Amino acid sequence: MTLLDSRTAPPAAPESPKPASRGAVVLRDLGLGVRFAAAGGREGWIRTLLTAVGVGLGVALLLLASSVPHLLDERNAREQARSETRISDSPDANAPKSDSSVLRINTTTEYHDRTVAGYLMRPDGSTPVLPPGVTGFPGADEMVVSPALRQLLAEPGNELLRERLPYEITGTIGDAGLRSPGELLYYAGNDTLTPAKGGHRIDGYGDSREGDPLPPLLIVLTVLVCVVLLVPVAIFIATAVRFGGDRRDRRLAALRLVGADIRTTRRIAAGEALFGALLGLLIGLAFFLTGREFVGSVEIWDVSAFPADLVPDPRLALLIVVAVPLTAVLVTLVAMRSVVIEPLGVVRRGRERGRRLWWRLLMPLAGLAVFGFTGRISAYEYAPEKPFGIAAGTVLVLVGLALLLPWLVEACVNRLRGGPVPWQLATRRLQLSSGAASRAVSGVTVAVAGAIALQMMFAAMNADFNRMTGQDPTRAQFAGYSEDVTGEAATSAIERFRATKGVDVVIGSVEAYASRPGDYADEDVQPTTSLTVGTCATLRELARIDACEDGDTFVVHPPGDKDMTAWVDETARKGKVVEISSGGKPMRWTLPADSPTVQGRKDPMGETHYGIMATTGAVDAGKLPGATISVQIRVDRSVPDVAEYVRNTAATVDPGMRFVTLDSVERDRQYASIQTGLQVGATAVLLLIAASMLVSQLEQLRERRRLLSVLVAFGTRRSTLGWSVLWQTAVPVVLGLAVAVAGGLGLGAALAWLIEKQVADWWLFWPMVGAGGALIALVTLLSLPPLWRLMRPEGLRTE
Amino acid sequence: MIPEGSLLAAHDLRKTYGSTPALDGASFSVHPGEVVAVMGPSGSGKSTLLHCLAGIITPDSGTITYAGRELSAMSDAERSALRRSDFGFVFQFGQLVPELTCVENVALPLRLNGVKRKAAERTAREWMERLEVDDLGSQRPGEVSGGQGQRVAVARALAASPKVIFADEPTGALDSLNGERVMELLTEAARSANVAVVLVTHEARVAAYSDRDVTVRDGRARDLEHAV
Repeated sequence: MTLLDSRTAPPAAPESPKPASRGAVVLRDLGLGVRFAAAGGREGWIRTLLTAVGVGLGVALLLLASSVPHLLDERNAREQARSETRISDSPDANAPKSDSSVLRINTTTEYHDRTVAGYLMRPDGSTPVLPPGVTGFPGADEMVVSPALRQLLAEPGNELLRERLPYEITGTIGDAGLRSPGELLYYAGNDTLTPAKGGHRIDGYGDSREGDPLPPLLIVLTVLVCVVLLVPVAIFIATAVRFGGDRRDRRLAALRLVGADIRTTRRIAAGEALFGALLGLLIGLAFFLTGREFVGSVEIWDVSAFPADLVPDPRLALLIVVAVPLTAVLVTLVAMRSVVIEPLGVVRRGRERGRRLWWRLLMPLAGLAVFGFTGRISAYEYAPEKPFGIAAGTVLVLVGLALLLPWLVEACVNRLRGGPVPWQLATRRLQLSSGAASRAVSGVTVAVAGAIALQMMFAAMNADFNRMTGQDPTRAQFAGYSEDVTGEAATSAIERFRATKGVDVVIGSVEAYASRPGDYADEDVQPTTSLTVGTCATLRELARIDACEDGDTFVVHPPGDKDMTAWVDETARKGKVVEISSGGKPMRWTLPADSPTVQGRKDPMGETHYGIMATTGAVDAGKLPGATISVQIRVDRSVPDVAEYVRNTAATVDPGMRFVTLDSVERDRQYASIQTGLQVGATAVLLLIAASMLVSQLEQLRERRRLLSVLVAFGTRRSTLGWSVLWQTAVPVVLGLAVAVAGGLGLGAALAWLIEKQVADWWLFWPMVGAGGALIALVTLLSLPPLWRLMRPEGLRTE
Repeated sequence: MIPEGSLLAAHDLRKTYGSTPALDGASFSVHPGEVVAVMGPSGSGKSTLLHCLAGIITPDSGTITYAGRELSAMSDAERSALRRSDFGFVFQFGQLVPELTCVENVALPLRLNGVKRKAAERTAREWMERLEVDDLGSQRPGEVSGGQGQRVAVARALAASPKVIFADEPTGALDSLNGERVMELLTEAARSANVAVVLVTHEARVAAYSDRDVTVRDGRARDLEHAV
């Protein structure tokens, strides 16, 4: 072809490209959205990052929650693996010994309100069984310890604990033998332990029995705790994907100007949201994996976990991976329904008529209807489906409260007029755009409402899971009991307790069994009662004794129990001989004829004593065979560490002594652990909400950077803008808390009705309201440094 | 060094942003009731000069004297107080607070000075009437046109009876008709109230409303009439 040819035959106009298929168009638009999110310059990146970090925080918490089943399974498995396999159910000298069997006794103690679990162990042979996590059997006066206990013992200020555990540390218990990294546990070797001293024989570890199933009410409680903690997280994620929505809408308006239709803009917005959510998933995973590494070294309310235990349930993890991006897209599309994106700008719909109330009420009402449909559940009823009905109803009510909030905030702030400049700036800002504030606060509302309802449930169930022990902590705060010691050792032990620093009163008695002498056929039961020896002061704590002098003896009847009274009298015959023995040669002793008969009374442990009581002048306690010691101790609480001094004395008297702290109420362990779980979860959720509010606040401040600079140019005081930020946070939070209190009390009352309980306390919401107030203060305080930075005059520069 | 009778004067101002010099020995002065246009191409340092003169930013070196007081010797709080009481501002896009109504925007400088709300709004309405936007009192900035918004901004700048108004491209976002009307109203009101105006612009037709021009080029101000 020549140049001339090309002149005479100009190339044909390019053909118009064929229209792409619908699927390709959708993908192209989504891809465009992803590009805007990923390559939108610094501003675009910041917006995407804010969304991704917000979603990431939520995802990390969801992954944490989805790891709880595995965490509990692993803990239970390790706990079962280390539970002992007893040869005999009771301390029994005749239990068969073997080369691998071990005698052991539980010596668990408490130190500064923390449980220090421990065992003394004595091997029967050369290859004793080892507990999980232990590689070598500790020799006599040696111990292997958990890392946490090793650290605690090494820390200064814990001399009293070192005194109580005076064994040489020869090894560390591995993770396989521990419930959690923070557990305080030791196994100590001993060469004097015998069955008579309370040791029992074991020949292995591991218990394959199923644990007790949760009672129905606790299932309800567990499901509710999950709902109450996870709904705010879901709301938080939904809020995070709307960060920077205004800026995005303006960008989409620009796209409309160059010909994009409304559907295209929606798909582009969906693409942006999708990218933010996917990035959030990755960031969440990174947060989770990073946080998991630190979880072993953090302990909140005695709860810690091994990083390896925190593995999300695969099905729940898949649900998170699918649901989070889907939620992001849906929330974006729903949010865009309220705006009209025109080529020349963005118009928000519905400002004139305001938010409607009626449809917002549907969800809480539907929740109540689900409650009605589910029906009431009793403590003893087996109804596995009902807790989930209750959970569904609770979700509906809580989400309904979150929906009510924007209406309430709008309705209230529109009525606010006047006031000082900071107040005016804040209320006018809320009037102009209350949606963002409501969204940020809705998490608080749901969390607080749920927590109030749960607290009411806990209070209503209190009686079912908190047993009155009958103990009287005003008479004595500690009690100890040790078996099979000589009477001499027992009396000396009581004296040692009396001499302990901070001890006011020791109700210490030496006890033995007294039997009626005679020959009895095998089928006959030899009349036997207890012989209690103590000072007059001690005996007065155990029986209603008016006059007492050293050398006196008493026959003590159990009050209101005729049969037992008759049985006591079979042995305690005044002027007659009784035999005191523990399998060996009996000691014979005559009950003085002038012994008065008195009524027994409850000791501080809540136990009623009866039988024969003798002062130390009447019976030489030091000579009693097969005696036991019982001490109940009243201390001077003002003496620092008095409890540790008393426990140390108990450990030196007998490391195997059963030693308890008296408490009038005993909490069910499962119930207590659910309550602890709520505390841990609520803390995490409140921190998440604070983060959400802070991010939302920062985003608003960034949007207003130039305006803030102008206000500074006017000479506006920093305090004026600081107060305005405070009011802007406080007004929606206060309204949110009002909704939360009303909704929480209503939900709590409904739930109490469902489980056939009465509302025990209507004023339980105050701590939650306090937490909400603290949240306002925290968010405002954390907002101030960026506010100060944004108030710099650099914001006025345009070139 | 300071021209006699000047209300606000700057001498040998230097200011750099990073390694970029924005002002490089600029000097300037304005007398009470005088309208001075600061002209120059984009990036020449006009706005930086205005921000220094208003005490919004501090120069790296040089002196600024207002009514006999050295501005650079004042603390941030003192300069803020001065801006509240003696200075007014008009920016290119009005920069009204979007959530406040127009009358609340105009009343804002008075309220920041501690004037009660009702009194502040009464004064604000008077200024709005003078700027011919009295019918916009209850509207929000987003609901008014650019020209109306800029007039509201001028009313806001005048409401607290300042001694100096700093106007940074006040007509930059307006069409010529609206721009001229805003300039007429601004200069008339300023002259009648004996308020000095420092007007930053790059448009000669806007500068025509001034009594005197100062040209800024490469960070240096050239004042043909009052060489300092």
